[in-house]
Parts: sequence; C-alpha cells; structure tokens
Amino acid sequence: MDNDKVSLHKPTALAEEFMKIPKKERGAINFLAVATFFLLITPLLSMHRVIDFMIFCIFAMSFDLLYGYMGRLSFGQMLYLGTGAYICGLFVKYVNGNPLLAIFFGIAFAGLLAMLLGLIIVRTTGACFALINLAFNHIGFFLVLSPLRPITRGEDGFGVIASKLGFLNLGSRPIMFVFVLLCLLIVFYFLRQLTSSPYGILIRSIKEDETRVRFVGYNTFFYKWLTFVIAGAIAGLAGSLTALNYNYVNPNSMDVHANVGVVFACLIGGAGHLYGALVGGVIYMVISNFLAYYIYRWEMFLGFSLLLIVFRFRMGVWGYIQRLWEYLATRKGALKFMKKEAI
Amino acid sequence: MIDTIFYGLTIGAILYFISIGLSLTFGTMRVINFAHTITYTIGVYILITFVFFLKWHFLQSAILAILAILPIGYVIERFIIRRLYGESLDYTFIATFAIALIGVDAIKWIWGAAPYPLSDPVGKYLTLGDLSLPMYRIIIVIIALLLFFSLNLFFKKTMVGKIIVAALEDKEGVRCLGIDVNRYFSMVFVLGSGLAALGGVLYAPISSVHPYMGLAVLLLCFAVVIVGGMGNLRGTFLSAFALGMVMSFTARFWPQGAETMVFIAMAIVLIFRPIDI
Repeated sequence: MDNDKVSLHKPTALAEEFMKIPKKERGAINFLAVATFFLLITPLLSMHRVIDFMIFCIFAMSFDLLYGYMGRLSFGQMLYLGTGAYICGLFVKYVNGNPLLAIFFGIAFAGLLAMLLGLIIVRTTGACFALINLAFNHIGFFLVLSPLRPITRGEDGFGVIASKLGFLNLGSRPIMFVFVLLCLLIVFYFLRQLTSSPYGILIRSIKEDETRVRFVGYNTFFYKWLTFVIAGAIAGLAGSLTALNYNYVNPNSMDVHANVGVVFACLIGGAGHLYGALVGGVIYMVISNFLAYYIYRWEMFLGFSLLLIVFRFRMGVWGYIQRLWEYLATRKGALKFMKKEAI
Repeated sequence: MIDTIFYGLTIGAILYFISIGLSLTFGTMRVINFAHTITYTIGVYILITFVFFLKWHFLQSAILAILAILPIGYVIERFIIRRLYGESLDYTFIATFAIALIGVDAIKWIWGAAPYPLSDPVGKYLTLGDLSLPMYRIIIVIIALLLFFSLNLFFKKTMVGKIIVAALEDKEGVRCLGIDVNRYFSMVFVLGSGLAALGGVLYAPISSVHPYMGLAVLLLCFAVVIVGGMGNLRGTFLSAFALGMVMSFTARFWPQGAETMVFIAMAIVLIFRPIDI
C-alpha cells in the first residue's frame, strides 16, 4: 500500500520527457498544438466558420483573464467587443481604409474605455462587479442605438470595407484566416507569458484573497485595474476582427444578452486555463452554429446547461482532461514503478 | 412641472417595490438575485392570463398573480440558492442568471414573444385646477407609502422581522442564538419575490409587457440598491424615490436617456462612496 502512495506522486516517463524539454520549446509545442488544432478543424467545418471560432476564442480568453485568473465575473464584456468593432468600422469608413490602423484604434479605444470605466468598476467585487458591467453595457448599447444614430446608423449598422495593404488583403478569406490565426497566437502567447509571470501569480492571489495581497503591500487596485484594461483591449481586438471579418457592424456586436455566451464558453471549457477558454470557445461555437438548429428552445438550453455546470461540472472540460491525464500518468507511473521493484 | 414630480413618485414607488427584495436578499444572504427579473415578469404574465383570457377583474387577478409567485420564489430559494450557500458568489449569480434565462424562454414558449397591451385599470383622473393626474398613479404612490410603513412595523414589532433585521447585521450571531437562519432567509426571499410581483403587476398597465421587461428593471433596481446601500431599508426607500425623480426629470427633457441617467447617477455615487462588496 505504501508503494502505491509513493508512486502516485511519481511523474510518468512521458511527463518526465516533456519536462526535460526546455521551457522555450515547450511554449513552441503549445503554439503548434493550437495552430494545428484550428488548421485541422478547417476542412471539417468551413473556413469562415473557423475564423468566427478563432475570434470568439480571442474574446473568451479576454473574459478568462478577468474571470478565470482574477476571479471577477464580468457580465458586460460585450461592451468592449462592441467598442472595438464600432471604432474599427468607423475608422475604416470615415478616416482611412488601412485595416491595421483601424485595428490599432479599435484596441486603443476599447482599452481607453476600460481605463475610464475600470476606475469605477474595479472597486467592486462579486455579483456587484457583474451587474455594474452589465449596466454599462446597457448604456453603451443604448448610446449606439439612439443618440449616436447619425454616425452608427442605429439598428441598420453600416458596411466596413477595408482597403488592401500590399499582400494583406483581408477581403480574401485565406488571408483573413491566417491573419486571425496569427492574432490568436499572439494573444495566446501574450496571455501565457502574462499569466505565468509574477504579475499573473499576483492576480491569481487577488482571486484567492485580496485582503492578504494588500497586507503584503501591493496596491491591488492598480493591478485589478490593469488587468481590466488588458482584458478590455483584447476584447477590442476581437471586436475589430469581427468588424473586418463580416465587413459589417451592427448593434448586435454590443448586445447585452450575448454576454451569457462567453460566460458559458469560459465555464464549460474550464475557467482559469487559457486552453480551457480555447476549448470552451470552440465548444460554444460548435453548439451555437450546428446544434442551435435542432435546439428549438435555445435560451432554456443555455440556462439548464449553466445550472448543470454550476452544480456538477465546475472544472469544465479542460479540468477533466487534465484530471484524466494525471490519472493515466500516475497509473502508468505506478506500473513502471512496481516493475522496477519486482526486478 | 407637478406632473413630472408626480411621475417621478410613481416610478420611485415601483422601483421601491422591486428593490426591497433585492436589497433584503443581498443583506441577509449576500446574494444578488438575478432571478428577481423572472419573478417580476412571471407575475405580470400570470396577471395577463387572468385579465385577457379569463376576463377577470384587474384587482382579483393582481392578488392571485402575487399569490401565485410565492411558491415559485420558494422553489427557487429551496432548490437553487440554498444549495449554493457559502460557495463563491459568482456561482450563485450565474445560477440565478440561468434561472432568468430559463424563465424568459418559458414565457416565450407559453405566452409568445409579442408584447401585450394592458390599459389603465382605473381610468379615472383627478383634476386639480388645470392639472389632471391619473388616479391609478396616485393609488400606486399610496400603496408604496403604506408598504413602507407596514414594512417598518413588521421589522420593528414582529419577532420574524426582528430576527431578519438582526440577521442583516450579524448572521452568525443570530445562528449562535439557536435560530434556524435559513428558514428566515427563505421567508425573506419569498417576501422579496412577492413584492417584485406586486411591482410588476402595478407597473404593467403603464409600461409595455414583453418577455425581456425584467432585465432593464432589474438593472434600475440594482442602481437603487447600490445608491441606497445594500440591506439598508430606509436607504432603499429614499434612493428609489430619488432615482425615480432623476428618471422623470430626464424623461421630460430627453425621453430616451432616462435609464442611462440613472446609471450615471449610480456611477457618480460609486465614485464618491467606496463600497466593500
């Protein structure tokens, strides 16, 4: 029995091999895994769907940074997505057709808005945080629909045709695909670095117990605010890409009721892991693109699945994959260990 | 001018009905109950069933609608919220949000998504000089005042009320006295649901009835609770009427911006008063 206990903590050969790989190369393997995954599902689904999936995954990662890592549940992340989409679209329409500049401004304005609102929002926690975000999202939706109607064209929305930039012709689907995949990988890399840095550990500690972090001497308000701004800016990137992908912006990109989608995606994938956000994003998009046709009562389905997740399935898909991996790993390790003992 | 003030009082009264439940559930259970939207909306739809399909009188339909909400509130508390006590607040919020989603879809399934028109059930006007005020709105304000005083009596004089007020201040302390706090919490929850239904039933004739009507109202009431202070009954009363005034005065000059102005007021309050929740 004692042997079993010891062997449980013994890493397997495979895991050991993986740990032997230098850290840089391990990052590269992660990258390749994400890229090949999206390339592999492209022939199964169609290319424009996969572009959608990837944009949604970027959005889900921005939400995961807030909820999974910092423990602040936002029900208004669509506001920043919508801001990114509208600013990007308006820039292309009125100022300059350069898509890269438009994306830059989309990100910058979403970040700026997050900076301003973050000063108020970040003071609160828990459900209060969620509802204040929702309230601001409501204001944004209203502003776009009604007072800014002359610019945003209200419910009708407007077309966004970005000009070609050398070989970067975002109108052509394969180029858009590669571009969005690159954006996804960059965001993934950035968030990976960020969350595994001391800063990432700090925000995870804020999730666990903010008061103690403050006792240690950190200005938690600043870090929470910074995380909020980063999450807003990444959501803005997702919004800009949405606008360029559909060549069209309308208030749906800021819809208050759409927030539940990203919450669902993050929870079903497993909050607190970037891979969880990716897996959850893909699962949600598959459900909403392919199964929604068969599910007549869509909101009821979402509601019951959320209840199920909250009561029975908190680790999410990625959490279970991890546990399965650990289980297999320790089992194999145990066998090997016992063989050695026998010899 | 007077009718604007009066309109503000009406809105404030409605906001007060709905915010009490929100404020009480937050104060006792530390839970923001998103399912409040659904008790509110279902109350209105039950009223509509009686008024439209059974051709009953408004008053008895309203009372029946409020009574019908009470068991629904109990079921939500017993089977969803009580299971999540002591866990992360986010999970409770997500669970209540899920209930709201299910409820909205159930309403669309049963009653359809099209809005229902509901006319003023009293229909009389009170004329003072050149000013005419609808009787119905006066009744709403009177009900709100009556409710405020009777709730005050309830919380000050009855045993149940005293226990609830004590639990607002110190839940653990009350539990240490050997009182089953959960039972009182579920009473608070049912009371809150009933009052939300009352607010909905009274508000329905002067607003539009559609499945998503709960969300906007919940956000407004949330602003009321933030401004008035969580679990603070008098604060909720005052802030409901103050924000009602904000809404009606904004609506006078800029009709679409009324709700937005409430959130701006809430943001200003949040800037100046830090809240630790």
